[in-house]
This record gives sequence, structure tokens and C-alpha cells, in this order.
Amino acid sequence: MKGVWAIVALDMKRYLQEPMRLFPGLVQPLLYLFVLGTGLGASMGRMPAAGDYRGFIFPGVIALSLLFTATFAGISIVFDRQIGFFKAVLVAPVARESIAAGKIIGGAVQALIQGGLLLLVVPFMHLNTDFLGILLLIPAMVLASLTFSAMGVALAARFTSATVFPVVINTVILPMYFMSGAMYPLQPAPGWMQKLAHLDPVAYGVDLLRGALLGREHMFFNPWLSVSVLTVLLVLLAWVSVGIFKRGEESELTGPSKFPWRR
Amino acid sequence: MSNTPAVEVKGLVKNYGKVEALRGVDLSIGAGEMFALLGPNGAGKTTLFSILSTLRTPTAGSARVLGRDVVTERDATRREIGIVFQEPAIERTLTVRDNLKLMGRLYGLDGAGVNKRTDELLNELNLAEAADRKAERLSGGQRRRVELARALVTNPRVLFLDEATLGLDVEARRGFWKQVRGLTSSGRSIVFATHYMEEAEVADRIAMISEGRIVALDTPQNLKSRMGGGVIRLHTADDAKAREWLVARGYQPAAQVQPIMLEQKDPAAVVPVLLRDLPVAVVRVEVHAPSLEDVFVKITGRGLADETAKNGATRAPWGGRP
Repeated sequence: MKGVWAIVALDMKRYLQEPMRLFPGLVQPLLYLFVLGTGLGASMGRMPAAGDYRGFIFPGVIALSLLFTATFAGISIVFDRQIGFFKAVLVAPVARESIAAGKIIGGAVQALIQGGLLLLVVPFMHLNTDFLGILLLIPAMVLASLTFSAMGVALAARFTSATVFPVVINTVILPMYFMSGAMYPLQPAPGWMQKLAHLDPVAYGVDLLRGALLGREHMFFNPWLSVSVLTVLLVLLAWVSVGIFKRGEESELTGPSKFPWRR
Repeated sequence: MSNTPAVEVKGLVKNYGKVEALRGVDLSIGAGEMFALLGPNGAGKTTLFSILSTLRTPTAGSARVLGRDVVTERDATRREIGIVFQEPAIERTLTVRDNLKLMGRLYGLDGAGVNKRTDELLNELNLAEAADRKAERLSGGQRRRVELARALVTNPRVLFLDEATLGLDVEARRGFWKQVRGLTSSGRSIVFATHYMEEAEVADRIAMISEGRIVALDTPQNLKSRMGGGVIRLHTADDAKAREWLVARGYQPAAQVQPIMLEQKDPAAVVPVLLRDLPVAVVRVEVHAPSLEDVFVKITGRGLADETAKNGATRAPWGGRP
């Protein structure tokens, strides 16, 4: 348990070293919300019962922030593997379970800080929500962040190239986001889209956030199904990560040190 | 327990696919010993350290650190060792103090213990005045000392150093080894890999390693005494012809070594004879007391410098980080 917090402390200390990085992270969600949301919302008129389109996509935009911050936090493992830093972590007498848990929690905390900043715009959203909604939103955000972070860690644990990892993230994570119903309701979507959404963990996360903030009638899934899917996936990905960390350097490509001395 | 070897390796083999990195290594390193692995890059030194530090699993054979099996008793092994890698393993954006404290936490020290140990190490390794500077602002020598401090956070009884001075200038290297030598007191064993022969001289014993095998293991003195008297190196206008002539005259030039290398009891007396009688023009002659490199060349037929070193590779301290 001590090991978990040591890893989280290590990552947080490094994260907080560059507080300015919080602001670029806000640009994309705010563009979606206020530019895309306002523009599209004006043309499609009022969405029944959800207030307006902007209000409808707000939980989806929070999910966007959580998803990308959490999965990209995993990239720190890739950087750490390029130098010897991650090896220094792996030779420490810390259970590999603690390393995986620490990395997942560290990424989730970063995502929650980034996503939490978006809650500052709630007063301007004219949401049809109450205190209970915000209260429910927090555990939903925590669970989604943990699962998204575990996705990043499990992906990053195998990679040694920092140039490949963002490509992987964009070919895996971006489609997941688009299929999740973050930017459109899934109920009126064609059957194939609804089927795909059932296979998309991001969809369950978005749905939970939306349910918490806008009410049960806007949910596509049963909330307990969403909680179960996200929890099972979290445990599964954590288990995969532990397995990779247990193999130490063997999980990298074959051969000894890949450090690029000639530069 | 005091008779338990610090490191005991038996028949260690490691293959990466078809590449044989280690081809059967046997070693026993005593408590309190300063032990060098001398060999060119690619000889298998890093692979050996990876196995001893629990980061890789051997293909065959066994390895123990202070009696702990490095495969089946990984956590116990990890508690006994500290290791400095070739690559930097400190966070450049954090201060020296924060780096050490965070690593101390990770290595299981509590709050008070971390502060105490960090201060001790900062003093011991002459880093006190750099303590609150970010790691990226340090000199190469200071950075390596921070790496050393990181490896020593838990006061390990066995310390591994894998090419710990790579890329440092001679002055910084000297300072680093002076520091390291002080660490063997209190019975700590130090195992270090290097391809600089002058670094290996400080060791109690040296294992020469080439192509995944240990080709010689002895004290620096005994290794050097394997060469009789002195060494003559000849650069000639036609080495092939010169070699032929030498062999015909009963000299024994080391096989395939460039430039021509002759071991002689009394080299000073032989040089005039060679200069007078050699049928090819001599461009340059060197005569020196045998060095560890000469011994290595004699045994393996090749030098310690490899291709990378010839091309002037330098250390990229924070390679790849944007």
C-alpha cells in the first residue's frame, strides 16, 4: 500500500511541476462545448428535455477531458522506459500490483484535476441539474477516470517508443470517443451504432456522467450495467498491466538497453 | 551469513531470440569485494546486470545475490541491491533532494527516514550545495553522483554500476571512482561494468568478458603479469608482409590484432633489431608496459573499444524526452 502512494506521489510531483499544462488541456473541451455546441445547437434547435444541445454534450465533453488526460498520462511510462527511470522503479522492492495501481491512480488523479476544472463552467451552462446531480457526478468521474487511466497504462506498458504511442492512442481512443454517444444521443442512432456502443467502454462512462448530471431519462444503459462494465474492465486492465510489469525488461522488444546514445 | 557470496552465478545463459547474449557465465563475488566486468559494448555486461537486478529472466543457469535467487526470490533480491544504470534514471524536472526523497519513499523508507537518509547521502556524495537545483541544471559528474545516491538510498549491501561513467570526462570520472571506492567500507560489495581499462584497475578482481563469456578472471596484477615484460606495437607500410617475416623469424605476433602486437621480455632490446632487419618500412613503434587492454587483446584478439566508441558516441543525458 505504501508503494502505491509512493508511485502516485512520484507522478503527481512531476505533474504539478508543470502547472501550465492544465491550460492547453482545456482548449479542446471548451472548443467542443462552446463552439461546436453552440453552432450545432443553434441549427438543431432545442433538444427535448435536455435543455439545449450544449447542455446535452457537457457530460460528453467532461468525458473527453478525462479520457484523453488519463490515457495520455500513461505515456509517462513510455518516456520513463526510454531513459532508465522506469527501471529504477522496477528494481524497487515494491509489489508489481502496487506499481500498476499507483500508475492507474496517478493518471486518474491527473484526469480528475483536468476534468474537474471544467466544472467551473457549470454556472454558465443553465443545466437542469441540482446538488444531487453534482454529487453523483463525482463518483462517476472517479470510476471513469480510473478505467480510462488503466486503458492508458495497459497500452503504454508495452511500448518503448514515444512516437508510436500517440498514434496508437489516436487510432484506438479517438474512435472509442466518437462511438460513445458523447456528442449525440444514442437512442435515435441506427442499430449498428447502438450495437457498437455496447462494445465501447467510453460509452458507459459518458452515459454515467450524463445520467448523473442530466437525469436518468437521458441514459442509454442501465447505470448498474455501466458501473459493472467499467469496474470489470478496470480490474482486467490492471491485471494485464501487472502481468506486463512482472516481466520487467522482458516485456520490451528483445535485446538489452535500447537507449539511443547516438544523437 | 558472512560467508555467503555477494553474487553467485552458475552456468548463466541468456538468449534474445537467436542472439546469444550470455553463453554460460560462472562467477562468485565475495562480500566487501570491488569487482569489475571489463569488456567491450555488446559483451553481455548489461544483460548480466539486468538478470542480477531482477529485470530479466535467464534462459538457463542460476544467479544468487547474497544467497537470494534472483528469479524465485525477486523481492528479497531487490531489498539487497542498488543499481546505477547506463541511462539516466532521475527525473530532470525535479530537484536533487526531491528525486532522492521520492525514490526513498518508493524503496520503502518512511517520512523521517527519507529525510535523514537524503541528508546523509547529499553530504556523503558532496551534493549538498546542489540539493535544491533541478537535475537538468547539474553537470554530468553531479548527475552521475545523484544516480549513485539514488542507488544507495536503502544502503544496499550489493551495489551494481553499469558503465556508470559513460560520457563523463576524465576528471569527472576520477572524482566518481574516488567516491565509489569509499563505499566498500562496511562490507558492501561493488560490481561494476566498464570498457575503460583504467577504471577496471581500481577493482580487487576483474572478470574479462567477451561475446557472452568470461575469458579471464583474476586480480589486475595477475592479469597483467600474464604478459611477459612489455609490449611492442608496430605500424608498418605492409603489415601482412611484416607479420609473415616476424613469424618466420620465430616472433609471435598476436593473431589478427592491428596494429601488430608483440609481447617481449625485453622490448627495448628487440626494437633496434626489428628496425634494422624488417624488410618493410616501419611507420611507428610503441613500447609500453602491459596494460589490461593488452591482456584483453591477447586473449580475445580484439580491443575494448567497439564500433560505437570509435564513432565518438556521447551520452545523451535525457535522450528522447521532448
